[in-house]
Amino acid sequence: MDDPRTELKADSDERRDAPEFDDLVPPEELVSGDRTRDDFFDAVLGLDSPATAGEVADLAGHGVDAAREYLAWFERMGIVTQVTDSPATYERNQEYLNWRRVQQLRNQYDDDELLVFLEDAVERDESFAEEFDVKFPDAVAIVAHATDTDRSVEAVWREVSAWKTTRRRISLFERALQTDTDGAGGQRPVA
Amino acid sequence: MSGGRDDVSGTPIDFARLNIIAERFATDDRFTGIEIQPEFAPDRIVCRYDSGFYPQRVQSARLEIVWFENGDFSLHYHEELGDGAFDYRWDRHPSDHNTRDHVHPGPDARTPGDDASHPEEWRDALSMVLGEIDDRQRAFWTE
Repeated sequence: MDDPRTELKADSDERRDAPEFDDLVPPEELVSGDRTRDDFFDAVLGLDSPATAGEVADLAGHGVDAAREYLAWFERMGIVTQVTDSPATYERNQEYLNWRRVQQLRNQYDDDELLVFLEDAVERDESFAEEFDVKFPDAVAIVAHATDTDRSVEAVWREVSAWKTTRRRISLFERALQTDTDGAGGQRPVA
Repeated sequence: MSGGRDDVSGTPIDFARLNIIAERFATDDRFTGIEIQPEFAPDRIVCRYDSGFYPQRVQSARLEIVWFENGDFSLHYHEELGDGAFDYRWDRHPSDHNTRDHVHPGPDARTPGDDASHPEEWRDALSMVLGEIDDRQRAFWTE
C-alpha cells in the first residue's frame, strides 16, 4: 500500500505527539487466539477441502501428534468430520457451526425478534429469485449471467453470494424458532 | 455458454470466522470499536481505527472485513479525509478483471486492480493486511 500523500502527513507540531506504534500487539499475534486449542480450531475453520493431520499441524503451527489428538477430539465434538481413512483426512463440519450459530441466536434474541429477521430474509430471498428469474442461487450460471446482463463477474458473484447468505440465514432463523431445547425438535408456534 | 452450471459459484458469508475475528479485535488498542452489521447476523464486521494513529487531516479510518465459507474474502480499508477519501481493497474471489487474489489499489480502489498472491492461510492473510495498514499509519508521522 502506498505511503500517504505529503500534505496528509503530520506536521512538526503533531509529530511531537506521535503515537506509540511499538506498544501495539503485532498483527500476527492479534489474529490468533491465546491457546493451542484456538490454533487448531482456526486451522480447521480455514479448511475448504479435506486435510491430513500433517497438513492441519502445519496450519496450526504445532506438531502432528497434537494435531491427531485435537482432530480426534474435534471429531467427537462434531467440529470436523473424517472424510477418508488412509490417509485419514478431515474437513470442517459446517453443520456443527450452523448448530452453534442457532444456539447463539436463541440466546441473543426472543422469538418475536427472530421472526422479524426471518420475514426480512424471506423477503430478500424472494426479490433475489425475481431478479435472477430462478428459484435457487445454485441455478444461476454466474459467468453466463454476467455476459447476458453486461455486468462484471465480480458483481454477479457478490449478489449470488449474498443470496446464498440469505438462504443460510433463513434456515438458521427457522431452526432457532423451531427448537425448544438444545437439539431437541419440540415445535412451538412462531406467530 | 449453454446456461448450465459454470465453474464460478457464490458462497455464503462465514459467520463463524467473522465472530472469531470480531472477538479477537474487540479489545485491541488499534480499534475504538468493532461493529457487526447487521447485528443479528453479520454480513461484515467494521473495525474503526483509533483516530490517535492519524494526524488531524484524517477524520476517520476503518477496515471492513467480509469472509466467505470457501475461504474467499474482501478486506476494505477506508480513510475519510474531509475533502476526499483513500480506499484500498485486498480481495480473493472470482472476477473477469484479475486473478483470484488481487488488490484494488488506492487512492480509489480502482477496477481492474493489480493481480496479487495473498498468503493461503486466513490468519496470515489478515495479519498481512493489518501490517500494511500499520505501515501506512507509521508513514503519516515521518517527514
